[in-house]
Amino acid sequence: MRSLERLALRLVRALDSACHRLLGWRYNPLHQSGSIAVALLTLLILTGLYLLVVYRVSAPWESVARLQADPWIGRWMRGVHRYASDALVVAVAAHVLRMFAQARGWGARTLAWTSGVLLLFLLLISGWTGFVMVWDTFGAQLAMAGARLFDALPILSEPVGRTFAGDREIPSAFFFLNLFLHVALPLGAGVGIWLHVSRIARPTLLPPRPLMWGIGLGLLALALFVPAPLPPEADPFHYTATVPLNLFYAFWLPLASSLPVWAAWAGAGATLGVALAIPRLTRRPREGSWSPSVVDPRLCTGCEQCPKDCPWEAITMRARDDDRPTLVAHVDPALCVSCGICAGSCPPMGVGPAHRTGRDQLVDIRALARDVLSVAGAPQVVAICCENAAPTHLDAVRREGAVVQTVTCSGNLHSSVVELALRGGASGVLVFSCPPRDCRGREGPKWLTERMFNGRDAELQERVDRRRVATATMVVGDLAHTLATLREFRASLAPLGSGGAVDLTELDVECESGAALVEAEER
Amino acid sequence: MSLPISRLAALSAASVAALVLLRAASFVPVHDVRSDSAWVRLSWSARPERIEHCRRLSDAELAERPAHMRLRLECEGRFARYGLQLMVDGAVVLVDTVQGGGLRNDRPMHVLRETPLTPGTRAVRVVLVRLDTLSTPDAESEGVATPESDAVLGDRGAREREERQRRSEEGIPPQLSLDTTVTLGAGRVLLVTYDGEKRALATRTGGS
Repeated sequence: MRSLERLALRLVRALDSACHRLLGWRYNPLHQSGSIAVALLTLLILTGLYLLVVYRVSAPWESVARLQADPWIGRWMRGVHRYASDALVVAVAAHVLRMFAQARGWGARTLAWTSGVLLLFLLLISGWTGFVMVWDTFGAQLAMAGARLFDALPILSEPVGRTFAGDREIPSAFFFLNLFLHVALPLGAGVGIWLHVSRIARPTLLPPRPLMWGIGLGLLALALFVPAPLPPEADPFHYTATVPLNLFYAFWLPLASSLPVWAAWAGAGATLGVALAIPRLTRRPREGSWSPSVVDPRLCTGCEQCPKDCPWEAITMRARDDDRPTLVAHVDPALCVSCGICAGSCPPMGVGPAHRTGRDQLVDIRALARDVLSVAGAPQVVAICCENAAPTHLDAVRREGAVVQTVTCSGNLHSSVVELALRGGASGVLVFSCPPRDCRGREGPKWLTERMFNGRDAELQERVDRRRVATATMVVGDLAHTLATLREFRASLAPLGSGGAVDLTELDVECESGAALVEAEER
Repeated sequence: MSLPISRLAALSAASVAALVLLRAASFVPVHDVRSDSAWVRLSWSARPERIEHCRRLSDAELAERPAHMRLRLECEGRFARYGLQLMVDGAVVLVDTVQGGGLRNDRPMHVLRETPLTPGTRAVRVVLVRLDTLSTPDAESEGVATPESDAVLGDRGAREREERQRRSEEGIPPQLSLDTTVTLGAGRVLLVTYDGEKRALATRTGGS
């Protein structure tokens, strides 16, 4: 499974790289596949409302043909509905691939993954009913294939396939049932989406407007200039030579039709089983970089910043069991995804995953200052890079003369590390994060900027010269941008002169006063 | 967002390509292999006959039963199975046994079979024959009740006879057959179904 994940990650990075070159990271649709899916679902509901008014269960194909004959509204409305439903499958597939590649389907994300699989299942069923509703040659083929599969189950004594045999009219109730499901399933999907995002704080449900409008207008243009054709009406007494297959919703049809029914069911069951088992198959031991955050109650001041910043609502405030008057933070390890964002939010550095708390970061940066910065001939730029952003850029950044330090997420970075790096001899600190919409910790770049420049806890102290600190986005496929950002930052530092190393003792005392307090308590 | 011309052109080209791909994958012309053959489709639903042994209860026996359980004929049996055979140009292409649905086979029997043929003019013969028969003759088991008045049951006796008659008529005849010669092109379907009113097999070929 790990090798599959790596393969998927390579694919995702290659696709990202192409999109960054074309659109830039802000509008990379692959970063927003989930929110694009929601936007497309909204578009489908809006266009579907119009189609619902025109559709007749007593004359399904004829009513769609009338719609198709109307060049002013009907034809393009149907086209947008059709193409948006196809694009929805693409968006969902991209979302699934990304989550799998980035190992974002296990642990606290199990509910999101499982509900996502069920949503995808609902989407395919809803699409199935939509095609059958039209009752053209493709819809009939889909209906018969579904009936063949369904009739193999010991549920109904009368084969559903007899409905389409031609010895009697297909009852309107059949099309009414399809229509009902076609309307009810997307509405049910709304509940599924709520469940899908229920474990995350501040979910982003829509893509940036330019991207949303771009996709909508693109689909409209496609519907206007290349309208969705309407195949001939289904005839139970005639199998047409060519059927226009929709690959998005009926990719399974050629295979399922050529297999025995039991094999088709077994294949479907195995696929669903594997999809639902992904959280178990991809889970990691909760240690190392996957260890959940822990709170040191002796350091916690009860400021309530970490529960505000946690993107997973994994932290709550509880009553203390000692005599201090404040509350204490508590991390639910079952909800924690080990992003480490809480470590960056805590002024006294009392929370975070093992080996990634603010104090651990201080130890690392102090070693860097001692071993690298202090022995360098001239003050150097320290580039603190999110290790998920663009790993292939790190060597180039080093060759460009920067000292590279990686963090698992830019939101994990404690602001004191930046200050300590400057005091340790760095001429400037440039923090490279991944694109905000592609952050595995979800809100790392956002909180990083807030903490560095807008006074959010744990804020970068006022005494730090902000001109020597910068944040930027590093994306695969755009090394030139990464290097240009670094050069630009370095150029901006030139007029400031060298910062130079200062005695770190003062900061050590300040940063570690909490630790001293703890030690005193222990004594 | 301001883009240089070259990037705008590349973006436009990529967008058009994505839309073209979307459109192409949305309507992929696929050959339906079923259109290479002509087809005979057997499709009907009908009630199987009830095969049962019946015993006429005496007035004394009836009087011993609770009022709501009094039936003059006490029957035990099951629903018949049928042999289905399809022959094309004299060759048997389908042999099957069909019976009523449900765990006790007391629901209607539903037939849905499709058999491919070489397109052209074909002599088609469909035969449906009851396989189960009574081991001993019993006229009343066929639902032919004697038209006597029933002193014990009164009106209920008449209703019982009517019900047995109705059930008997609902059942499919013990033997059905259909012979027809049809010309079917590739992809065309000959439907053989059961006409409940005429109690006979019938064919349909749609608008071809």
